[in-house]
Amino acid sequence: MNDYKKTIGIEVHVELKTNTKMFSSATNGFGITANHNITPIDLGYPGTLPLINQNGVELALRAAVVLNCQINKEMHFDRKNYFYPDLPKGYQITQARTPIGVNGYIMIPLESGEKKIRIHDIHIEEDTAKSLHQEGHSYLDFNRAGVPLVEIVTEPDMNSDIEAMAYLEKLRELLLYANVSDCKMEEGSMRCDVNVSVSKTEKLGTRSEIKNIGSIHNVGLAINAEAKRQIELLEKSEKIIEDTRRYDEKNNQTILMRVKETGNDYRYFPEPDIPYLSLSDAFIKNVQENLPVMPEERRKTYLDGGISKINADKLIQNRELSDYLLNFSKINLVIASNLLLGDISSYLNKSNVSLNNTKLTIENFKQVVDKLEKKELSSKNVKDILNDLMEKECSLDEILSSNNIQNISDVSLLREIVLNIIKANEASVKDYKEGKDRAIKYLMGQIMKETKGSANPSVVNQILIDELTKL
Amino acid sequence: MSNYLNKSLKELHELLKTKQITPLDLVEESFAKIKENNDLNAFITLDEENARSEAKKLTEMEVEDDLLFGIPIAIKDNILTKDLKTTCASNMLKDFIPIFSATVVDKIKKHHMIIIGKTNMDEFAMGSTSQTSCFGAPKNPWNKKKISGGSSGGSATCVAAGLTPLALGSDTGGSIRQPASYTGLVGMKPSYGRVSRYGLVAFASSLDQIGPFSKNVYDNAVLLNALVGIDEHDLTSVDLPSEDFTRDIGKEIKGMKIAIPNYFTSSIVSDEILENLSKVEEMLVENGAIVDHIDMKFLDKAVPLYQIIAMGEASSNLARFDGVRYGYSNPDSKSVDELYEKSRALGFGDEVKRRIMVGSYLLSGEKATAYYNKALQIRDDMKKEFDRVFEHYDFVLGPTTTTVAYNLGEKLNDPSQSFLDDVLVIPVNMAGLPGLNIPTGFNNEHMPIGMHIIANRFLEAKIYHLASFIEKKLNLPLIRGEE
Repeated sequence: MNDYKKTIGIEVHVELKTNTKMFSSATNGFGITANHNITPIDLGYPGTLPLINQNGVELALRAAVVLNCQINKEMHFDRKNYFYPDLPKGYQITQARTPIGVNGYIMIPLESGEKKIRIHDIHIEEDTAKSLHQEGHSYLDFNRAGVPLVEIVTEPDMNSDIEAMAYLEKLRELLLYANVSDCKMEEGSMRCDVNVSVSKTEKLGTRSEIKNIGSIHNVGLAINAEAKRQIELLEKSEKIIEDTRRYDEKNNQTILMRVKETGNDYRYFPEPDIPYLSLSDAFIKNVQENLPVMPEERRKTYLDGGISKINADKLIQNRELSDYLLNFSKINLVIASNLLLGDISSYLNKSNVSLNNTKLTIENFKQVVDKLEKKELSSKNVKDILNDLMEKECSLDEILSSNNIQNISDVSLLREIVLNIIKANEASVKDYKEGKDRAIKYLMGQIMKETKGSANPSVVNQILIDELTKL
Repeated sequence: MSNYLNKSLKELHELLKTKQITPLDLVEESFAKIKENNDLNAFITLDEENARSEAKKLTEMEVEDDLLFGIPIAIKDNILTKDLKTTCASNMLKDFIPIFSATVVDKIKKHHMIIIGKTNMDEFAMGSTSQTSCFGAPKNPWNKKKISGGSSGGSATCVAAGLTPLALGSDTGGSIRQPASYTGLVGMKPSYGRVSRYGLVAFASSLDQIGPFSKNVYDNAVLLNALVGIDEHDLTSVDLPSEDFTRDIGKEIKGMKIAIPNYFTSSIVSDEILENLSKVEEMLVENGAIVDHIDMKFLDKAVPLYQIIAMGEASSNLARFDGVRYGYSNPDSKSVDELYEKSRALGFGDEVKRRIMVGSYLLSGEKATAYYNKALQIRDDMKKEFDRVFEHYDFVLGPTTTTVAYNLGEKLNDPSQSFLDDVLVIPVNMAGLPGLNIPTGFNNEHMPIGMHIIANRFLEAKIYHLASFIEKKLNLPLIRGEE
């Protein structure tokens, strides 16, 4: 059974993060009362004509750029004709002949190293309405009709569930970071169709398409379940029929929806209501040059800054924290990332707020990190003032003094305190002289107690050893 | 009954301005004449109440310096009018009341024109005789046994019979110019992109244009002035500097270069029309125009080209009429497929169904490359051929139709026959050019004959220039009852 090779190609639809729909002025939004977010255009009302959302084109172009595609500078739209109640015009406006991007690729990380997954094309299209079937009735919600989508089609370059999932994770990461889409599979702003075939030879087997899988995790399960089904059929010398299936999570199996009709024909032809679009070189350049900082670049910065691979990944996965770090050019990345992923993350989780909605200022964060680096603050100090940092509109100095934390680095002042403590703890000094190491810890503790923890520990330690040696 | 509606816009404006008549007088005359000529079947829906109340409002107002102020107009029934039934002469939309108006309707309302009603037409503008209307065909005022052409037959009948001075039509493959020719009117199909298509129920999107019908050239240009302009609702509308299409009317034509393609004077055209054309040609030459007979490629491909492109687009444009959201919805259907089948089978007439089927076939599978893509190629070649000719000539000229208007009921049993009525006018739609019918005479049964003036893209003013010269020289008795 193991000598079968799986071949996988993936089609992903993502909703573009535009304010309005692709071909009308209706809002592009989620969770609006059914059929309250529509214009006559979205209903395919007689006499209406499509408009074009410039921002939609720009976001699609940005996606094409991050997927390393060649750009079709002269592009047009096509009509894909078929009848379905969720398709108000009886055709979908899409791009068949001149997709905005072609021949791209992305690199996916695997344990064995990176693998190149080729992108066949990325094209712009409009979403359909949503059908709801209840108690023998069908309901239509046209809010989604006309929402801008890009469809991203790979070559059949993946050979395992791991690779397919890695591709989707990577794609999601890229599109999120490019601000192209929210990529929320649970809200349907990212949807996956997976083509799977198996073969013992170089010749590809007959494929099945598994439609609309609900999560990246389930993509992996569905691929394995489908490959298993196909292999079992082949082992029984049965033929695989090209079909469309869905994944049944409960029973971990794929279920037949329909057999692909041969000559399935969408009667594509150029959309006459929208003139050809010329993407100017300046427009393309502008998109290329104004890309947000992409994950690979961030990852490199983190690793170069000494952040561990695990923490680097954690930051990339938490876009808000990663973006926050972009505010600082000169900062100790290790300390800053520890602070963000540690105390600050737990505060945010506990209080259920986002970082942008706290009072933490860029100045205060920078100062805290700098003081931690110079050991002018201890991590305990930071824990003590964290709530104030996040909740009060004060400078760090104000916060420190209201918490009675003065970081004493003044050597003469500290030396005085050290001498007092030595004088008051003769027994411990004696222990130290006799080589009992814990004595120094006790003395340190006494000094920190005296200074209410605000003494710079490394400075204190140095002075203490100095003075003890002198005795 | 008063008899003002056959007067020119300038005359009417003077009468309104000097308060010898009111807009309400014009509206009342219009409705009275429509009733008197009910048998012409020019209208599908009248808007008596609104027209009267609008006319009363205008009667109270100071007459603006606008030739269109207070003038009644009729609108082809495939152009949306808010709150006023728009049927496309189809059972599919028999009770369809639009929720918005076409851009052209908003524009004429801004000029305080008064909409009298919606005119009869071929169903969804598919036909060349207006006989595919589910309300029966309009009749030709010059001879009620004859067709008034199509698809804008109702608008042509309306203006030719003096029911309104002006009307709007739409032209996908001759649907303004051909009925104008059959009824002795001036009918203009503007350059593609001149006039917004927003609110025009689409037949073939890459060919459709809205344009004016009138009894004389000047009035036609005045109405076109009001219709044109880029529209944010129509991406195919074109942004051009504003211009006055009447500016060259009445000027001389000395030195103008005119090409008459040999195909337009070939044996496909009847003798009486060819004779008329050569008389006009003589007159033009006498007046200093240079006329050459030339060969032009691809003109003979117009009909098959039209059948492929127009029907392909139509099959897609009409897919939205599925009984789900608007229009006729079969109440007895038990499933979605049945709803589609029955709503479309019963909602559409034979010609529309025929064209949807042919269009779907031509766009399908392997055939798409053989037919549709080839057609797009030839269409491009045809455009280039016109470009080539316009490098040397100001105009391309020919007859508008191959025959005069024929009898109602004739040619009905051969669906492909009616396309030949438009063989001379279709190339203009294919190339996106402006084209105009100017009446140039009558045959011996006193049926109107027209000539077709074509110029390069966006040169409508030039067309009006030549047309007005011909109009003045021929000085034909074109007003019914005064001939």
